Amino acid sequence: MMNKRFWLILFCCAAAGFALNSCISSPPDYISTAKTRSVHMIVKMSRGDYWNTVKLGAEAAAQEFNVKLTFKAPDSESDVDEQIAMVENAIDEKADVIVLAASSYMGLAQVVDKAAVFNKIPVISVDAEVGSARVSTYIGSNGYEAGQKSAERLIKLLDAHGEIGIINFTSSTENAQSVSSTAIDYGARDADEREKGFLNYAARYPDIHVVEIAYTPSNIANAEELTRQMLNQHPRLRGIATLNETGSQGAAKAIQQLGLKGIRMVAFDSSPSMMELLQDGTVQATVVQNPFSNGYLAIKHAVEILEGIKVPERVDTGTKIIDLDNMLWPENQKLLFPFVR
Amino acid sequence: MCREKPHFFPLRPQRPLGGTIKLSSKLRSIQLIITVTFTFVAVLVAVLVSFMLYNKFAKTAEENANLNMQQIIEQVNYNLELYAKGMRNIYEKAEAQITLTPDIGAPMLKERMSTLLESREDLVSVALFTPQGELVLNVPGLEMRHNTQLENQSWYTSPRRTSEISFSAPHIQNLFKSKYTWVVSMSKLIQYREAGVLKTGNLLIDFNFGTIDELSKQVKLGKRGYAYILDSLGNIVYHPQQQLIYAGLKYENVEPVLEYAYRSYLDESTGEKRFITVRTLAETGWKIVGVAYYDEIVTTKRDLNQFLSWFLAVVILCVIIVSVLLSARISSPIRKLERTVKQVGEGDLNTPINVSGAYEVEQLSKRFNLMLQRIRQLMEQIIYEQETKRKGELEVLQSQINPHFLYNTLNSVIRLAERGKTDEVVTMIHSLSKFFRISLSKGKNIITVQEELDHIRHYLVIQSFRFKNKFKYEIHAQDEVLQCQTIKLILQPIVENALYHGIEMMPDEGLISIRAELQNKLIVITIMDNGLGMSKETLSTILTGVCKSGTGSGVGVRNVNERIKLYYGREFGISFESAIEEGTTVTLTFPALVSQELDEEKEGGAQE
Repeated sequence: MMNKRFWLILFCCAAAGFALNSCISSPPDYISTAKTRSVHMIVKMSRGDYWNTVKLGAEAAAQEFNVKLTFKAPDSESDVDEQIAMVENAIDEKADVIVLAASSYMGLAQVVDKAAVFNKIPVISVDAEVGSARVSTYIGSNGYEAGQKSAERLIKLLDAHGEIGIINFTSSTENAQSVSSTAIDYGARDADEREKGFLNYAARYPDIHVVEIAYTPSNIANAEELTRQMLNQHPRLRGIATLNETGSQGAAKAIQQLGLKGIRMVAFDSSPSMMELLQDGTVQATVVQNPFSNGYLAIKHAVEILEGIKVPERVDTGTKIIDLDNMLWPENQKLLFPFVR
Repeated sequence: MCREKPHFFPLRPQRPLGGTIKLSSKLRSIQLIITVTFTFVAVLVAVLVSFMLYNKFAKTAEENANLNMQQIIEQVNYNLELYAKGMRNIYEKAEAQITLTPDIGAPMLKERMSTLLESREDLVSVALFTPQGELVLNVPGLEMRHNTQLENQSWYTSPRRTSEISFSAPHIQNLFKSKYTWVVSMSKLIQYREAGVLKTGNLLIDFNFGTIDELSKQVKLGKRGYAYILDSLGNIVYHPQQQLIYAGLKYENVEPVLEYAYRSYLDESTGEKRFITVRTLAETGWKIVGVAYYDEIVTTKRDLNQFLSWFLAVVILCVIIVSVLLSARISSPIRKLERTVKQVGEGDLNTPINVSGAYEVEQLSKRFNLMLQRIRQLMEQIIYEQETKRKGELEVLQSQINPHFLYNTLNSVIRLAERGKTDEVVTMIHSLSKFFRISLSKGKNIITVQEELDHIRHYLVIQSFRFKNKFKYEIHAQDEVLQCQTIKLILQPIVENALYHGIEMMPDEGLISIRAELQNKLIVITIMDNGLGMSKETLSTILTGVCKSGTGSGVGVRNVNERIKLYYGREFGISFESAIEEGTTVTLTFPALVSQELDEEKEGGAQE
């Protein structure tokens, strides 16, 4: 009887002690960085300033939130199979989260479903959406709006009349030819949206004619060649709109080399070389996204998903038209030139 | 373990059945009281001490952390101050050289500037502009870009307002064809000579963030704490997460910082408690802001807290264990004693009490044991006495009709009758009848001294016929004595002894003298004979009962003695004096009692 009471008292005290302890040592209220998470980030391409800046943002977040970041990208933006293989690989390596910038809207849908449904790996799409309902969140800019902004500026530069050529990009060259005929959209979602936005805006102006849309597999040399062809075929071309970074650089290079001062060009994205072109007047304006934010937020939200924090379904990091006048505004400086140490 | 006992002691009082009584008595047990009190006091002391320690340590820790942080920021401030001073020196050196050179186009000057530029890694460019914005001097000689919009840049405009060297906010250097880099610009209007003509120009020296980064990176304010630099307008000059802030992903609450040049305060605008220390660089007007997370400052506090709570838990546990053990050690002998005493109380007097433990308990146990022994002794004595009393009474009862004596007497009567001695026969029969009447006396045990003396007189009469006048007797009694009480048949065995052992073998005629008198409220009856007497040895054994006459009436002297002692008390009884050939004197002493009630009571007791 005495023994029973003794143990009872002992037990009560121990319990009280534990309660006291657990009360005092409750965890602090911020994203815990105690555990190292493995996040695989797969983007469209290993080259290009745009993706570098995305990577910078991701790395900044990875460092901040104690994430082991595995950054992968195919050599070419059109290499959908390689990208699928990379997602498969990330699944095999048991990534905690996969961050994906899909080169093909439908091409990667299946593998994303596989990761999200069968392997319970959250998938975040960044920059370009993917055709899966299982994606946790999308972080990037609104392509349609970006296209419209580009069109608006170019049409303004051309005083609302003249021929316009578009250099766009998509996943593969073979699909490029049949993009309008096939029901299934194999192109990259962002390219598609931008084009749609541009054309829809341009359609409001009867004197504006979009004479050609060329598709480049994200290769500067190829884009340059396409631009030359376009300029040759359409000698009355007054304006060129490019819808991605490599395309912009290629097109700008062609214009610069041909010395065509009369061509107005609205580019896309903000690489340092694009800034040079902007400053020396080859390019009149560029639509910039927020690659650093995209990379950073993708990783941050990945950690938040792992922590069980609810993340928004869609994060629009915004686009902006930059021209010579506003490129040195302090807030644009900060946006255009990554503060790299 | 004491539960099985009831069947052995059916008469023992049963335990009260009420649970509450049991519980409350349990709560009052020594063990519980000691445990609870001891634990309470110990825990109270422990809690108080740890609380005080905690407060003291926590305060000190917080103060130290604070001081530490301020010192770190002070240090950074000092280093940056030195750095800014160094930059100013460089600027002044460059200015002096430009001013002293007679022609701005001299290659010597360009060379010197290049050397100056190469001497420090963090210098980006040196350039001199005319107030109209035309480039005069440019080191290193990179091509200038178009559309630089330098007229709108702060380094270009601010020297017009002040004659001091002005430090710009961080900005992109877009003047020369090279990488776009983030720089801080120093600029001032200076004098220079171009082909001997004195002109005014705007000297611009840009430096990058290499050294500032280096200096600020060293700042370690806990795991998450950091330091950043603001310029006087609130632009962030340096921040460990500069890009995040530039991209609008992070936000730094700079407004309260800008209001003060020298300050330490607690900021809760981000929802988290952050400790902020502000220092201002005298050279540039920049503010060094240290941010430390409060929960990291108080890590020591939390560690201490955790340690103390564990410590407390362990102490409480130990205290409880110790107090339970201690109280068990103290109380278990007491409880054992209590159980044994209870057993004794329930009637098991043979329970040995050998409780070891604390000194007091041992003593108590010893004393109790002694007491118990004494009780046992007394009990035995009472039992013995009761037995003896019964036996004595039985013997007396037997002696009331002693067949041997009756037979002898009747024989004597027959012989007298044969000889025709009618008178003597009558006397004899009369005495015999009286003798037996008093012997029986209606079964009473207590009679008067008068009756007892009559009884012995009749006995002597009968015996004198039998012993043929071999002896004489005399009986003297005080009148006060006669009405006193006495137990019956106390004289007859003594007189019988005197006759059979003292006088029968005597050649001469014997004398038996009986006296009864009152001395100090005591009745003293002496029976003297002048017979053979006894040796000292016989005398010493006579009352212990070893020698017993085989021929007597059956009621021995010892019986008389014991009966007197049992009725009146140990201090009363028989004493003997005797000498060989001299005779024996037997003295009976017992209290003089007249009370009738006492008589009846005694009688009642005897008849029970």
